[in-house]
Amino acid sequence: MENKDQIKYKAEKPDLGTVIEIRDLRKRFGDNHVLNGFNLTLKKGSNLVIMGKSGSGKSVMIKCIVGLVAPDSGTVKILGKEINNLDREAMDELRLDIGFLFQGSALYDSMTVRENLEFPMRRHKKKLGINKNTEPLVLEALENVGLAHAIDLMPSELSGGMKRRVALARSLILKPKVILYDEPTSGLDPITSKEIIELMHRIQKIYGTASLIITHDVDCARVISDRIILLVDGINYAEGTYAELSKSTDPKVAAFFKK
Amino acid sequence: MILVNKDPLTFLYLYGYRIGNEYFVTMWSRLKKFFIETGDLSFFAARYFKEALKPPFEFRELLRQCYQMGNRSLFLVGITGFIIGLVLTLQSRPTLIQFGAVSWMPNMVGISIVREVGPVITALICAGRIASGIGAELGSMRVTEQIDAMEVSGTNPFKYLVVTRILATTLMLPILVVFGDLLALYGSALVENIKGGVSFQLYFNTVFNALNFSDLVPATIKSFFFGFIIGLVGCYKGYYCKKGTAGVGVAANTAVVMASLLLFLVDFIAVFIADIFYEL
Amino acid sequence: MAKTKLENLKLGIFVVVGTVLLVIAAYLIGNKQNMFGKTIPISAIFKNANGIQLGNNVRFSGINVGTVKRIEMINDTVIRIHMIIEEKMQRHIRKDAVASIGSDGLVGSMLINIVPGEGTATHIGPGDELKSLSKVATQDMLNTLSLTNINAALLTEDLLKVSQSLTQGKGTFGRLLNDTLMAQELHQTITNLKHASSQASSMIAEMTALVKQVDMEKSAAGVLLKDSISGEKMLSIIAHLENSSFEIQKMSENLHSVIGEFKEGKGTLNYLATDTTLVRQLETTMENVTQGVQNFNEVTEALKHNFLTRRYFRKLEREQKKEDKKAVD
Repeated sequence: MENKDQIKYKAEKPDLGTVIEIRDLRKRFGDNHVLNGFNLTLKKGSNLVIMGKSGSGKSVMIKCIVGLVAPDSGTVKILGKEINNLDREAMDELRLDIGFLFQGSALYDSMTVRENLEFPMRRHKKKLGINKNTEPLVLEALENVGLAHAIDLMPSELSGGMKRRVALARSLILKPKVILYDEPTSGLDPITSKEIIELMHRIQKIYGTASLIITHDVDCARVISDRIILLVDGINYAEGTYAELSKSTDPKVAAFFKK
Repeated sequence: MILVNKDPLTFLYLYGYRIGNEYFVTMWSRLKKFFIETGDLSFFAARYFKEALKPPFEFRELLRQCYQMGNRSLFLVGITGFIIGLVLTLQSRPTLIQFGAVSWMPNMVGISIVREVGPVITALICAGRIASGIGAELGSMRVTEQIDAMEVSGTNPFKYLVVTRILATTLMLPILVVFGDLLALYGSALVENIKGGVSFQLYFNTVFNALNFSDLVPATIKSFFFGFIIGLVGCYKGYYCKKGTAGVGVAANTAVVMASLLLFLVDFIAVFIADIFYEL
Repeated sequence: MAKTKLENLKLGIFVVVGTVLLVIAAYLIGNKQNMFGKTIPISAIFKNANGIQLGNNVRFSGINVGTVKRIEMINDTVIRIHMIIEEKMQRHIRKDAVASIGSDGLVGSMLINIVPGEGTATHIGPGDELKSLSKVATQDMLNTLSLTNINAALLTEDLLKVSQSLTQGKGTFGRLLNDTLMAQELHQTITNLKHASSQASSMIAEMTALVKQVDMEKSAAGVLLKDSISGEKMLSIIAHLENSSFEIQKMSENLHSVIGEFKEGKGTLNYLATDTTLVRQLETTMENVTQGVQNFNEVTEALKHNFLTRRYFRKLEREQKKEDKKAVD
């Protein structure tokens, strides 16, 4: 699947080693302390899974990375840039390199699939050197998720699984260096979940991106993870490969992995 | 003195408890909520002006929203205006006949429609249709993280969603009012034509003779503010929608209520100012 | 893309039509106030602005030709009203045209009437000042006239009652005169009548003066009669006047005493009547008189029961009875 264009694309961007680095991230909403000194390092091309109960601060953490939520303290470095100091312009530029798959797909209801996929490009056409015709890029992204035929459908005409795949195509369309997945399999049936996981796996191979995956789906973690961080009460509780953690005897860790 | 560190509001709140006046406490907390809401809305409006004046501008989305809010509301506004004009005339006829002043109908109906009824009815219809629509649309976009998705895609959702919508309602409402007024006058003329045998030409001639710039200009300026209020409240309620599908319903509902209330407030202020202005 | 284009087309139509309608409405309103067409400024001086407001219409021979632009107080009795009138009307309005303040119907707003002059003067130009008919003087005069008139009417009524009682008691005329109270009353009444007559004649003289003034300046007469308010007032006063005069005449025939004075008045009335616009009014006056005679009879009937005359009628009755008794005896 890997074609020349993509090799060239990769070669253009220097390898920085560490893609995302989070140090001592803290965030509270009122009296609710969500994040209490969270740390994370994501290496290029690796898949990091963050696991945790609902309300353990996973979603807040991932939103801190893309600047949707401003942390109270701590640093977030993406591709060597600390995002706290960035203005809107620079942040938008940085966001070019970040793909984000939202929990509920978050497709724009009022737009067709094509318009949904074109949307991330509208601000960056000049910088990316994309000419007016965005058709090849849209088609390419859709083909990668196997939905080229759905290009002119509205999101309301798609099933949950298809939506998730379109959303994935949308987050991939700018060929980001890192993709953040917020519960990629939530709300899907096991079979569709499996398809999505396989798709994520394949895409990672095609685009060679690093992935940060938030999930509480153990299957997902097993298939895709290089490493797993267990998030409990807003702080790293345990860290290791799937094999290591699944054998852990710690009750809190074991609670996640027992079927 | 544990109260020293607390802010004055909390102090009063606690003081309320100390004197054991439940009523005072709930009153105060409600009042506090009201002030917070007013402050939030003001900040939202300020942000709108800040973002609206700064490039990049979302012209295509603005046009799309103008179409959605202008053309799509035309039918409803037209029908309502027509019926209001019809009913106003039918209801006034008996009284005017008693006074032998039925020939004053075009003056009376014309002035009341252009000055007050046209803008207010159109604005209320739009508050029902547009403000709730925006509230629900932005609310569901907020709930399903579409607004976050835009942010992440490098598009400023405030510019793309809020600025375009508020601008669209601000620009479209005066035009809708013109259509509403015209159809209301047409409805009124129709009644006069059928019941009183007044020709359309005479009717409209009398109306335009009765009208002054002091009727048309404040009404038009007022319409812009009405449009702004509708867009602002709809966007505000939708943009800060609470999570969950129930939040969307609440957003749509409160958007209509708040927009309608603010419309009347703005109307009152507008009439007051226009009155002072034309007294001079 | 095609869909977007269609939407934009529809939106464009919507916006253009809406804006055009608004502009048309503004134009129609502005046109009425002469905001757009070419205009020239003129002015006129009045003693009293009579509540005229900025934007009030200016009419020339009944056609709206302009609006009031500015009202300037020069001193306590001189008010200059600036108007703008359509330029195309310039060639119809001459310098001797007269401006007056009137009102548009019974409840309408005030307006300025410009009435054409003789037609020999040159056309007006921008900044010209028109002659004005000072409504205040006329109105003051008319007010005095109407007051006099009311007085005359009251006296006439008194007189009518008495004279009627006299004519009713034909045979007992001498007896009536012997009745001291009644005689005194009659005397008083005749004095009143004389007073009324002299008042009427002075009033008629005033009227004549007015009419002469009217005659002297044909244009002013036109103004007076065309101007709805003063015209109506004038006519009603004349009507009152005539009414009283007729009643006086009828009474005079009974009394044969004040005819001469009245005839002078009648001459004036005839003079007035030659003015065509008054003829119709005279006709209605005649009708009023006829009705007045009817009322008159009713009044007489009532008089019989009046406390003043009741005694007299009873006396009559009693004496009648006495005579009857004597005859029987």
